[in-house]
Amino acid sequence: MTLPTPTLPDLTAPRAQVLLAIADDALISGHRSSHWTGVAPSLEEDLAFSTIAQDGINHADLWFQVLLGNAGDSSGHDARARVDALGLGRDPADYRHAVLCEREPRDFAFTLARHWAYEHLDALRLDALTGSSDPDIAAVAERLRHESRYHLEHADHWFARLSATDGTSADDDAHRRFGEALAVVLPEALGLFEPVDGEDDAVTSGLFPRGHVALREPWLAVIGPRLREVGYDALVPSAQDRVPDAAAGGRRGRHSPDFTEDVWPEMTTLYRAHPGARW
Amino acid sequence: MARMMRTAPVDVDDVRRAVTSVPDPELPPVTIGMLGMLHHLEVDGAEVTVELLPTYSGCPATQMIERDVRAAVGGLAGVEHVTVRFRYDPPWSAARITDAGREHLREFGIAPPGGDVQGAVTPDGRPTLPVAVGASDPRPCPYCGSTDTVRDAPFGPTPCRDLRYCATCQQPFEAFRN
Repeated sequence: MTLPTPTLPDLTAPRAQVLLAIADDALISGHRSSHWTGVAPSLEEDLAFSTIAQDGINHADLWFQVLLGNAGDSSGHDARARVDALGLGRDPADYRHAVLCEREPRDFAFTLARHWAYEHLDALRLDALTGSSDPDIAAVAERLRHESRYHLEHADHWFARLSATDGTSADDDAHRRFGEALAVVLPEALGLFEPVDGEDDAVTSGLFPRGHVALREPWLAVIGPRLREVGYDALVPSAQDRVPDAAAGGRRGRHSPDFTEDVWPEMTTLYRAHPGARW
Repeated sequence: MARMMRTAPVDVDDVRRAVTSVPDPELPPVTIGMLGMLHHLEVDGAEVTVELLPTYSGCPATQMIERDVRAAVGGLAGVEHVTVRFRYDPPWSAARITDAGREHLREFGIAPPGGDVQGAVTPDGRPTLPVAVGASDPRPCPYCGSTDTVRDAPFGPTPCRDLRYCATCQQPFEAFRN
């Protein structure tokens, strides 16, 4: 039996590439956040990461709708099938998220370090996108910015709590372990600021004000002082630092086995096993 | 043509009543009219277009609301086709919730956003989760009305609600996020 293949727009266009980067960051971060559902260290954190996971996957869904030109009107079977084809029907090399987003959750310190680095980029990016020349992008960014406040607040809270040096942590174990996690995360986080193909055009046209590359400086301006305040001076990325090779190229579809052999196969199992299924 | 002559025109007020009476699937005492989700509706002959503002982009109830609105409007005399669209511009905000909606939320045990009462934020020394959003958004207890409440956690049972605690009646409660 031959199944109808949903027709997708040209995904190589700058608008599509930018929206895929934003959507895929949310989608893959969402999948990794869902790791904590049922096994987080407290009930509150279980609810937090479950909600953050749900938000990430739904935000990705909404950006896919924007990409397809039907934001808010995805109820028809064809529209739904097209959104699913974008979220679950692409080959691994066609995903545009940063490699950091696909990394295994490891432990709670690593999860929270990544969460903090990513949410600060996402907040700055959504702020920039509210000024997009594309009205659909601007409207959705405005809505999501409102919701993402809760993610940022959660991330900042845990940063303060785990990095505290005021003696609240008996042996500074939390400060040390969180610092070790940040030391792994922050260099790889620079991969969030790589541009997608054609991003210059999207910046010039006003579709993506600032763009990923230019967001790196304001991101450093936010996280640098916070790191120094708590004695993580040595971890502050410098303006010249390059993305480590292992974490570079995500925005152009170069992904690690954490994605190609872990997140992607699991995330797409049902979609690949039952083509055209509706749920 | 003969058929059109016999069919009574669709009454816009009937359509509006049908749409605004649809209950929120997760909070049945509250209707989507009370939540201020109806943005615009248009009747063109036998065709009805309804534009709604989702309260939360990731709300899993959205598809159920769409289905229920379609059924409610589609059941009206003379309606042959219903289109339901969700819009993000203008963004929905908690200020759109009507007074009746706020009261129904409260009766359901969920503190509505905003309002005139300034709740006191008095963490009692317990390690509470962050208050950056909660501190500027205090809520009186929906059960006893006390303003001696704290927000325990910014994430609750659904994406649109958080968790609070009343120090006066020692009752945990939920709040509709702003």
